[in-house]
Amino acid sequence: MAGACAVPGFVLVATFIGFGGLMHDVGFPILAGLLSTLLVWALPAQVILVGGLGAGTSLPALALAVCLSGVRLMPMVVALMPLMRGPRPRLWRELLCAHFVAVTMWVEGFRLLPDVPEHARPVYSCGLGVGLTTLSMAGTAFGFYLTNALPGPLAVALLLLTPISFTILLVRNARQAVDWLAIALGAAISPLVANSPGGLDLFWAGVGGGTLAFLVARYGLRRRA
Amino acid sequence: MSFYSNELTAILIVIFVGFLPNEVWRVFGVLFGRRIDENSLLMQWVRAVATALLAAVVARLVLVPSGALVALPLWLRLGAVGGGIAGFLAMRRSVLAGVLTGEAVLVIGAWWLGVG
Repeated sequence: MAGACAVPGFVLVATFIGFGGLMHDVGFPILAGLLSTLLVWALPAQVILVGGLGAGTSLPALALAVCLSGVRLMPMVVALMPLMRGPRPRLWRELLCAHFVAVTMWVEGFRLLPDVPEHARPVYSCGLGVGLTTLSMAGTAFGFYLTNALPGPLAVALLLLTPISFTILLVRNARQAVDWLAIALGAAISPLVANSPGGLDLFWAGVGGGTLAFLVARYGLRRRA
Repeated sequence: MSFYSNELTAILIVIFVGFLPNEVWRVFGVLFGRRIDENSLLMQWVRAVATALLAAVVARLVLVPSGALVALPLWLRLGAVGGGIAGFLAMRRSVLAGVLTGEAVLVIGAWWLGVG
């Protein structure tokens, strides 16, 4: 669990403080929010959920958006599993380890796990996961109650913490043309379709923008090249 | 906004709209891990959609905010996000430095305007 107290852990907790502030802002109850940190354990999905509820997105559209945002977890689990599995794999233990896989766990797992003896890796992974989750839940609660106590400029700073850190993460993870196109199109379509009928705005911006970026990167750029 | 202010309703929403649609991919990763081709066309499309979705959520929060952020002018919200990217790029791609720069721009701007 001590491994959870490293620099990436601090950035993570800071973003969850921002999430707690966002929850408070849209009027999302605290227990359900803490539960979302424990069970969902993927901040983009949580922000889509809470931000979408605040924007009036319909529940089926939100479930679809959360589901699509979670796809990136699968390749992470696939890549990290050989390091977490240990010498005698058990399905339930693998599922438990897999639950803790998210961006921070992915980065830290590749950094820390190779130095752990193989038989201790499943336990170590769960310890690291529990440590990060506990810190993040504390961050969520802290941000939720902090919004009330802070003076104006700091309270709004808390609310913009999530968009700022997500923008930086998007920029950091963008490697190919299709990534940049997806960021630009998703961001550009989003305000245009805001308040679209049926609460489908996230659906149009995400699926529409992403599909368009995929098609342009695959067929548009190749023709020009 | 009132239909989910009830704690129990919100918990059910978290489980059925948040937890289950998200967790299914981790379970898939464990069960079918060795058979998935990460670079297949389907996965490329899915990744593009996931990226666009996240960008859309961020743009939505910054450009069409619903809560207390409405009090800030658009240029300051954009300036803070831009400052964050600039700080990230300037300081050897450090996420922490980027976030701190963006927040500094925002707090100073908000304080100067007397907002909040």
